[in-house]
Amino acid sequence: MRIDRLLIGLGKGLAVAVLLAWSLVPIAFVVISSFKPGRDIFAVPPRHAFSPTLDHYAALWTRWGVFFDGLWNSLLITAGATALAVIASTCAGYVYSRNAGRLLNGSVLFLIVVRLIPPIVITLPLFPIVNLLGLNDTHLVLMVLYATFFVSLGTVLMRTFIDQIPRELDEAAQIDGAGRLTILRRIIVPLAAPGILAVAVFVVVFAWNEFLFAFIFTGTNAKTAPLVISEMIGSIDGVDWGILFAASTVQLAPVLLFVVFMNRFLVAGLTAGATKG
Amino acid sequence: MTDPRTGLTRRRLLGTALGGAATMAALPTWAQTRTLNILSHAVHERVLGAGDADLLSAWKSDNGATLSFTTFDSNPLQDRLFREASLPATDYSVGYLIDNRPTSEIAALFEPLGPRNAADPIEDFADIAPGLIQGMTVDGNLIGIPVRHATQGLFYNEAMLEEAGITAPPETLEELIEQANRLTFTSASGTPVTGMVLASDLAVFPVMFARAFGGDFITADFRLVPDRGAMEQGLSALRSMFETGALPRSYATTRNDDMVSWIQQGRAAFTVLPFARHAQLNNPEQSNFPGRIKAIPFPGSASLPAGTPMSAVVEAWAMVIPRNATDKDLAWSYIREVSSKRVTLGMALNGNGPVRVSSYADPALIERNPVAEIEARVLATARGAFPPFPEAARAQATMLEEVQLAVLGRKSVADAVSAIIDRVGPLMPA
Repeated sequence: MRIDRLLIGLGKGLAVAVLLAWSLVPIAFVVISSFKPGRDIFAVPPRHAFSPTLDHYAALWTRWGVFFDGLWNSLLITAGATALAVIASTCAGYVYSRNAGRLLNGSVLFLIVVRLIPPIVITLPLFPIVNLLGLNDTHLVLMVLYATFFVSLGTVLMRTFIDQIPRELDEAAQIDGAGRLTILRRIIVPLAAPGILAVAVFVVVFAWNEFLFAFIFTGTNAKTAPLVISEMIGSIDGVDWGILFAASTVQLAPVLLFVVFMNRFLVAGLTAGATKG
Repeated sequence: MTDPRTGLTRRRLLGTALGGAATMAALPTWAQTRTLNILSHAVHERVLGAGDADLLSAWKSDNGATLSFTTFDSNPLQDRLFREASLPATDYSVGYLIDNRPTSEIAALFEPLGPRNAADPIEDFADIAPGLIQGMTVDGNLIGIPVRHATQGLFYNEAMLEEAGITAPPETLEELIEQANRLTFTSASGTPVTGMVLASDLAVFPVMFARAFGGDFITADFRLVPDRGAMEQGLSALRSMFETGALPRSYATTRNDDMVSWIQQGRAAFTVLPFARHAQLNNPEQSNFPGRIKAIPFPGSASLPAGTPMSAVVEAWAMVIPRNATDKDLAWSYIREVSSKRVTLGMALNGNGPVRVSSYADPALIERNPVAEIEARVLATARGAFPPFPEAARAQATMLEEVQLAVLGRKSVADAVSAIIDRVGPLMPA
């Protein structure tokens, strides 16, 4: 019995170790390589002992200044898209949670269908429209697009969260003379804060790393960091792997820290309503 | 009227909507610029220099213009350029086009530049390599002015040749194969060395091997595999190298960047890359063999009739003006300036493959670029891997699929060449 338990424990440990290695080794390789001298990065056999250097980061700053402009654009667009998605999802989730009707129930299916459409299907027809509106290469177009793609998932998540808030609280507030917006602002939003943060995590991770929309709809003014990294990879005069790995590390760090910090809300978001009913 | 549930008045709602619409309407103004907008690869911008070394500073002040480069990787750049040129109007007045893209349909998106060159000519136009001009002439119209080329050469690691007791690089393809076989060994430092490393996803290499025997994949006048025997000899050479281990076991997954890192690390003795990579391959910060990686013309077979030149593969970039561009006169002025002898040489000194024959004779360039003289010689007979046509991408993919099967021994070379002819034939232009 004890041996069985030991074997099961070992099996679980091994499975976790394999999963961790699968996920972390590529990231560790990128981060460690960003501190290796260029000639050691792909050395065979690999050189595990090396003198760490910040040369690649210095070169990134001097030779690819546009990368930091891209980071700033990514930050603005991510913040804007997150704010838009969170506001729209919270309002919509509130409506779905507190109202019923055939039209509303039917539209939930529509929300799910929207998530099933591959983004590439809508990007190319959108290009001339965005151009006609003069929104090409603006931050706004990406904020709206990213938010749009996450409002459906965000709404479903927020509805589940708000469902857990007793309706009696709404009714008590109504008796005290509060309108819908006041109830939403003063009661629902504070109580559904974990759900809002979970939605925010999803949007932040998506918007920070997104490539396709950014490639189609931006050029110079709103160019995001992933686009600049793709240019480094496709350099026709040779890839400088050290600089590329330094850029990838800088790109990775903020979102990694954000997700680690928000991890518990993410888990709450994914499991919201799991035990309901 | 006030909604009792939300507290919103009709006036407030209307005001918010109008304010939002006004903000949206104002955004296009913010997005517009008064500069010459250019769609290019980052390298095209970089070779023009910046700050005190800006090659275009005088032109900018003379024309009161500023340049705004939008840069992408090669394929996304072409995709974006064609999309912009397909719109009713585009802010991009200059684009950079690769020479294997302009089919008749694509060429129609761009301004014919012949009349502009006749009215306001580029300095010493005849000095620009005629083969590159030819590549940008579609249906009789000159649609792009060449600005950069990448011509393929054979790179070798001199230190490894010495270690294997080889005193001179190969002069024929047969010698190359023999040396590659000898250089498939474990070096004194303990690194396993492969004779030659080639990417399997680019048509350049099988085409070079076919040309080494006097053959080709698709000629400029659209003849598919004009010399079947030469193509079979070329693929047989690749296959024999794979069988002896002179091509890596990972051949099927080897990519262009692997070639660079393998030769920098001393994992391969030979490779085929553009001459422009010479500086990178010998960069002391990246290479274990700085100064020891040399380049020569890719050798033809000893069986080639005397005097038959070995045509290396060249890829060129050109500057184009979209037909729907908003500032064509400024765009042409820019193109004229970038094509001038002074700027062409300046870009060459910054690492650009110069399109002018005269640039290669410049002492400063010869001093800066040890392979300039060899590159100029190879460029004289070089041509594209294949001409542009609508199904070129599928034709290349099909050819590479068959080449891989042949090299890996999954199909006989004769069957693979037959399959190339049968499968690519229907994709050829009528």
